[in-house]
Amino acid sequence: MADQPTAFERFTQGILPENPVYRQLLGLCPVLAVTNSMQGAMTMAGAVLFVLLCANVIISLIRDLLKPHLRIVIFTLTIATFVTIVDRFLAAYMYQMSKSLGPYIPLIIVNCIIICRCEVCASKQSVITAASDAVGQSLGFALALASIASVREILGTGMFFGFRVLPEMWPDWVIMVLPPGAFLTFGLLLGAVNWIVAMKKAKD
Amino acid sequence: MKPSEQTMPGDNNRISNFFIFQAWLVLLLASFFGASLAGIQLTLSPKIEANKLNETLEKVPELIFGAEAAQSFAEENRQMDIERQYIKAGNKIYSVFQAKTDDQTSGWVVKSSGQGYADKIELLVGVDAKAETISGLFILDQKETPGLGNKIMEQAWRNQFNNKSTQQPMTAVKTKASAPNEINAITGATISSKAVCGIVNQSLNNLRQPLAKALLNDQNPSDNQPNNHQEKK
Amino acid sequence: MSDTTQQNQPLQDESSEVPVIQVGHSPHLSNESFTTRRMMIDVLIALLPVVGMSVYIFQMYAVKQMAICLVTCLAAEAAFIKMRNRSFSLTDCSAAVTGIILGLSLPATAPWYVGVIASVVAIGIGKVIFGGLGMNLFNPAMVGRAFVMIAFAGVMAASGYESLNTGIDAITQATPLNAFKQMGISTSLTDLFFGLTNGSPGETSALACLIGGIYLCIRRTASWEIPAGIIAVVLIMGGLADIMGSASNWTVLHHLFSGSLLFGAFFIATDPVSSPLTAKGKFIFGAGIGFFIMVLRFFSGYPEGVMFAVLFMNALTPLLNRWTIPAAMGE
Repeated sequence: MADQPTAFERFTQGILPENPVYRQLLGLCPVLAVTNSMQGAMTMAGAVLFVLLCANVIISLIRDLLKPHLRIVIFTLTIATFVTIVDRFLAAYMYQMSKSLGPYIPLIIVNCIIICRCEVCASKQSVITAASDAVGQSLGFALALASIASVREILGTGMFFGFRVLPEMWPDWVIMVLPPGAFLTFGLLLGAVNWIVAMKKAKD
Repeated sequence: MKPSEQTMPGDNNRISNFFIFQAWLVLLLASFFGASLAGIQLTLSPKIEANKLNETLEKVPELIFGAEAAQSFAEENRQMDIERQYIKAGNKIYSVFQAKTDDQTSGWVVKSSGQGYADKIELLVGVDAKAETISGLFILDQKETPGLGNKIMEQAWRNQFNNKSTQQPMTAVKTKASAPNEINAITGATISSKAVCGIVNQSLNNLRQPLAKALLNDQNPSDNQPNNHQEKK
Repeated sequence: MSDTTQQNQPLQDESSEVPVIQVGHSPHLSNESFTTRRMMIDVLIALLPVVGMSVYIFQMYAVKQMAICLVTCLAAEAAFIKMRNRSFSLTDCSAAVTGIILGLSLPATAPWYVGVIASVVAIGIGKVIFGGLGMNLFNPAMVGRAFVMIAFAGVMAASGYESLNTGIDAITQATPLNAFKQMGISTSLTDLFFGLTNGSPGETSALACLIGGIYLCIRRTASWEIPAGIIAVVLIMGGLADIMGSASNWTVLHHLFSGSLLFGAFFIATDPVSSPLTAKGKFIFGAGIGFFIMVLRFFSGYPEGVMFAVLFMNALTPLLNRWTIPAAMGE
């Protein structure tokens, strides 16, 4: 246990150095699918935060009881439960949002970020560390979603969070709201992040 | 250790013990999670159902009386009863909302859906009490191309359907609409426009007679036969 | 680069060098004058009749659109080359060709920003991201056009032409393919052949495309197998449709002369970088494009399918190259 990262390290690593989207390339399905508006992206980020936090805490609490060959079953069971809870809550209290996010909320069950954090951190470390890891990773995920969604929403509709930020005469780049826009934006941003990392390494 | 256990099929007792011993946590968690999910489903499902229904119900006054009349209607705080029925017609089951003011049927709203350009289009059509003219159209759900096909959502386009007769099928035309049953297609989105017309035509074609019949039954409750297709909700 | 190296690994011996694929039989003649620059200038010469025809029909609209695309493509190329710290290489004229083809394939009346964005995307995402000229998978001009086609579908559709007042009737009409697809109106063959119809400036005149295209084939700058494959399949499929009577007033010749079919066959599909290397591969490539053009015209929501057909077959080019490697001498 001595060489495991501390709670604070887990938290900060999740945000940038080990950003789930840009550095680990995990959970790309929602990254591509729900980033055509900031509202959708932030709802997705909130849902992931809730699921990851709950799953990490529960797994960390029962980590000493886990049998190695049955752990994936237990991870999936826990994650699926909390995803269902989020899905039902959205349908009850944010009906329009739940409709526009469609299948992508239930699909959090198979989001690799969550099962990866359960495996890497929660099943090995204390509750506090697992919780701060969950929050750090979720913030990193939210940051990545926000970066893609802001590019796509501003270029695609001239709006940000549903408010107009570009003049009316702005020609909407419809492609940015459509799936190809997601791939292009994510690819270019990923390239930019890799370039920055390479530049940093070269400097050191 | 697992392979060695599996290579001893003769020892049944030991294996069953072994699996229960291994799986107790999974079983415990599963029953615990299952119970909590059942609880959440029980508490939230009425709300979710209400959300789904409200989405339609909110639109009913507007679709029958038009936006302005519906507004003043609401301000005067007049009562409107909306009854949901299921009518089977043309091997489809339609959700139909009967709007009543002062015990008089003032119109019907039909929920219908069909294939659009990209995906299913779900819409509501309002017709008058005798199901003779269209009083309104609303698009509930669509995934048409942003900037082109999704203009079917725009009020100006939808308003073209108002006051059209239900007797003749609507056609979407690319040039200026001249005949009474013609709708101006959205430029660059002819397929979406045609799809909406098609859905409206099909559902009205199927429901025109059942709705008129239902109205007659309502007006003469004496000879009202128990109707198999209607189910009050 | 590492990807390409891995892909080609099984094709060659255990040498650890970057593989050089030689597909032709010996003798390998090397012609000093056969450079990228010469090929690109050939393409520019071949485009002259098309450019002339489009300026004659669309006048200032065509000039403006081509100028915007040309200038932006050259500027984008220069900027991206500088970003990558490469030597300045506008002299190979490839960016100029991309710009002119793009300008000819966009509707002449599309607003200025459409040309600018299409050019930047064509050079940036279509070419430079893959590593510059020679490395690009897709035809840069078509990448740019596809981007604006989806992004600004409203102004790219035929409706963009309506309510414009010019001296020439052509611009106010719907394009022939659109008119047919939406209203079943057929355009006369002579109009289609000479180009007196609406459309993107480069695509309207079948005659100009044929003149330029045949020049390119004679000069061997374009491989004749590609346009031959396209035209053969369009003739077969259009002929079958004729026989089955699915489109009585839109004959196989209408299919051949309308839309950007000939322009695409001679100038776009023949891009040497994004088309296969072997003769057999080229023919299959052309036939595939022809097939998808007809499928898209018959069954899709779009009236024309040349752009998507070319992009789709571009993606299959590496595969075609592998399938059609000629057997080495003596094997």
